[in-house]
Amino acid sequence: MSAPPKNTVLIVDDSRVSRMMSRQFILNKFPDWDIVEALTGEDAIEKMDSISPVLVLMDVNMPGMGGIAAAEILRQRFPSLKISLQTANIQDATRNKAAAIGVGFIEKPINQVRIHKLLEELEAT
Amino acid sequence: MLELTELQHDALVEIFNMGVGNAASAMSSIVNEEVTMSVPTITFQSRAEAASILGNKESRRICGISQHYQGAFNTDAILMFPEEKSLEIVRLMVGDSVSMEELTEMEQEAMSEIGNIILNACVGILANIFNHELEGSLPSYLVGSSSEILGAEEKNSQDTVLMLHIDFALESHQIHGYVAFLLDMTAMQDLQQHIDQYLSGLT
Repeated sequence: MSAPPKNTVLIVDDSRVSRMMSRQFILNKFPDWDIVEALTGEDAIEKMDSISPVLVLMDVNMPGMGGIAAAEILRQRFPSLKISLQTANIQDATRNKAAAIGVGFIEKPINQVRIHKLLEELEAT
Repeated sequence: MLELTELQHDALVEIFNMGVGNAASAMSSIVNEEVTMSVPTITFQSRAEAASILGNKESRRICGISQHYQGAFNTDAILMFPEEKSLEIVRLMVGDSVSMEELTEMEQEAMSEIGNIILNACVGILANIFNHELEGSLPSYLVGSSSEILGAEEKNSQDTVLMLHIDFALESHQIHGYVAFLLDMTAMQDLQQHIDQYLSGLT
């Protein structure tokens, strides 16, 4: 019997250190999960052709189309995909945009507590 | 020159205080220790004079991360640390599991991300208080003297700017840093208008 497919998380962030920290916090909780990284919104959209993640963590302020536009495209293409903005931009305007396109919102700095809370919510669904 | 009334000045300091509090909390969460921040000081002077004041406090080479914001008002926001402390700050952020070689390699990029988080923590509060979005550029990283970091050698360096200046410290690591917001005359008038709106909402 083959092993069940591993869960995958797509981390979209132009900051290497942010990707590294998100990866580390996710693997602390789920060591056997796969992590795929994208550096821009465009890169994330392209990668979605070949992966089916359970969660997309999306930075907002990135070169190119930016995280809000990319999240909006992913939301339209994958209506049931769990997407969360993960951003230093804590403005109400950004939170409102996240709510309007139906994606979650977590504040940077990224830490274990914030990531684990998100993963627990994911497990509960 | 634009003049602030006592009430406007008070409101400006109070609003930036809230932003600074949030920035301190973000910084503390990055480095896992208490961060103390001063009450913001507001001064009007040229960029060259601002650089000279900062240069008197900090003679070492400075690592600066700046972001330009536009919207409610336009401003250059700059986070500054002594360059020699930069690796130590990145180490506090990423922990001990990263090798020294990797740490050095990611220093600039990690400092940009730290700047992005701290400056946005402060600016985000201002935008929410003014109920008006402030759109930020990507962070840019520069190492140099206070003049170079504050743009005091550029062609408009003698124009008057409003500088909001905040000192902060991670006492147990003896790391001191600075945050500055620079606004030109037009931006000051926009800011003044937002302060008046904020004050009118309080009465």
